[in-house]
Amino acid sequence: MNWKILNKFGPFLALLFVYVFFALLDAKITTFTALETMLLQTVIVGISAIGMTLVIIAGGIDLAAGSIIALGSVVVALLLESFQFSPLVAALGGIGAGALCGIFNGLLITRLRLVPFIVTLGSLLIVRGVAKGLSGSIPINVGHTPLSNLLAALPADQKWQLLPSGAWLMIILAALIAGMLRYTKLGRHIFAVGSNEQTARLCGVAVERVKLFVYTAAGAFSGISGLMLMSYQEQGDPTGAIGLELDVIAAVVIGGGSLNGGEGSILGSIIGAVIMTVIRTGCQLNGWPPWVTQIVTGLVIVLAVLVDQLRHRQTA
Amino acid sequence: MRIFSLLLIAVFFLFAGFSCSKDNGESDKLTISVIPKGTTQEFWKSIHAGAVKASQELDVNILWVGPEKEDDRQQQITLINNQIIGQVDGIVLAPLDDMAIRRPVKSAVDKNIPVVIVDSGLKDSEDVYTSFIATDNFEGGKIAGRQLGEMLEGNGKVILLRYNEGSASTDKREAGFMEAIAEFSGIEVVSDEQYAGVTKATAQQASENLILRFRDEQGTLGFDGIFCPNESSTYGMLQALQRNRLEGQVKFVGFDASPALIEGLEKGEIHGLVVQNPFNMGYLGVKTMVAHLNGQPVEKRIDTGVHFITQENMTQPDMQELIKPDLDKWLKEN
Repeated sequence: MNWKILNKFGPFLALLFVYVFFALLDAKITTFTALETMLLQTVIVGISAIGMTLVIIAGGIDLAAGSIIALGSVVVALLLESFQFSPLVAALGGIGAGALCGIFNGLLITRLRLVPFIVTLGSLLIVRGVAKGLSGSIPINVGHTPLSNLLAALPADQKWQLLPSGAWLMIILAALIAGMLRYTKLGRHIFAVGSNEQTARLCGVAVERVKLFVYTAAGAFSGISGLMLMSYQEQGDPTGAIGLELDVIAAVVIGGGSLNGGEGSILGSIIGAVIMTVIRTGCQLNGWPPWVTQIVTGLVIVLAVLVDQLRHRQTA
Repeated sequence: MRIFSLLLIAVFFLFAGFSCSKDNGESDKLTISVIPKGTTQEFWKSIHAGAVKASQELDVNILWVGPEKEDDRQQQITLINNQIIGQVDGIVLAPLDDMAIRRPVKSAVDKNIPVVIVDSGLKDSEDVYTSFIATDNFEGGKIAGRQLGEMLEGNGKVILLRYNEGSASTDKREAGFMEAIAEFSGIEVVSDEQYAGVTKATAQQASENLILRFRDEQGTLGFDGIFCPNESSTYGMLQALQRNRLEGQVKFVGFDASPALIEGLEKGEIHGLVVQNPFNMGYLGVKTMVAHLNGQPVEKRIDTGVHFITQENMTQPDMQELIKPDLDKWLKEN
């Protein structure tokens, strides 16, 4: 019973603990500007983490997320700059490129029955290479476009929107996918595939189709994160988001996702991403050097996995 | 018919003659490998262009081979070893690490392949390499510190946003900056413990958090000047300032140039950039190597110099050449 509560509210309690800890050290972290800044710094990892949660629940992993984010940013910037497309078309193009990478991963994993870890390790390099090739290996500057406002603090006359549109997008997408996981057949099938693939297959779940869906979705969400990176940097950056997949995976794990599959929650993953931002911002506000941030974040990840393990032992 | 076959034979000999002379030419020409730290940044492209220019002037072949992944020491070691196997005449190298790359350099020199080091140093190896051609990074940092101090008229609070732990060249720039700024008794360094990290996004996040930390409730900033020691940290800081609508309100000095930073300089959002001369590094690297191979004496340490670019002097032709080098002229022909 105790563990059930800890599982359900674990990530939230952890966030509360971390936030109160830093708020006691420095009240600046409680200002509206600080909250807005932290939320904006969470969006890139957060949106990609939505897709990663689906993959991890289905018992897989997507190591290409960081590369897909970089490719997404490059494609959006290219469509805007070199082809003069409208911002909306460019944005959709970036998301589409991400989805294509996801389909590529999904097809290799389902049709050729290759291990997700190896396939996505390969596409991590392939996609990074494509991003560098497309951009001629240099960042593509786009300057200020309507897309820049996705991740910019709201100007005074637009405060009625409460949050910048990028943050709203993350919240809406998270709510939609969380609802999909909970209330639709597809959602339950994703859990079934991750819990026990054989049983799911025997029960008539189209395992391959479910897997193809989760990898495609993960690619598309990383594509959206790429759009966000482009908006944040006002630049398509082929060398951006290096190693970011580890942050994304960490967010999912802190949020209660299990790398054994069958467990994870969208809300948890978003909270996991927020926890990492709060730690980084909190440390930087106090003028602590980055090695402190790294140790603290690492400890939180280990703690999250430890709680996960203990709970499994309890229920076993 | 006879004329035709005669023609055919003539053409054949002509081609044979061509290919023969070409073969001879190839084997006479010196082949020099140029190994950068990475291949994606503008900086390395400038080095490449400089090397191509020297190779055309001196009629030598150059092989441009860079690590696919930046900061991959292992791969750079493999690349050096491959050049030894390929028996090139000389290697021009920008070492990724001042310790880890020492052994492969030593083994190349032991096999009679001389090595010229460019851009970043190699520790305690003066007796191994032929020449060291680079920016004096410490001096570059000092120039930045002195200029920022003068812009602030010797008074105020400044921030140093460092680049990344364990990067020798930026460490020196940061040290040079700290030394120069310490000479202004009225200037206080309020933060020098934050690092931008390797990507622009992390640089931007660190910058936003610095602004958050030093801005009080009335919105006044708690600092008057900023120094960032490389391109990505300068870009991240510029973005953060723009997003907080603070661009131009604090004196901002960066390091290295890119189109986006030059635009910031034009708009008065950046007040000065310390720029190096990578084109000259590549050019002198190959030139020095050829001189050495031809038995001429070469200097052990060549400083390629740094310049401080501001809004006022950026339109001068020599500065334009530094910030907008015509790389295509040299790289397209390859």
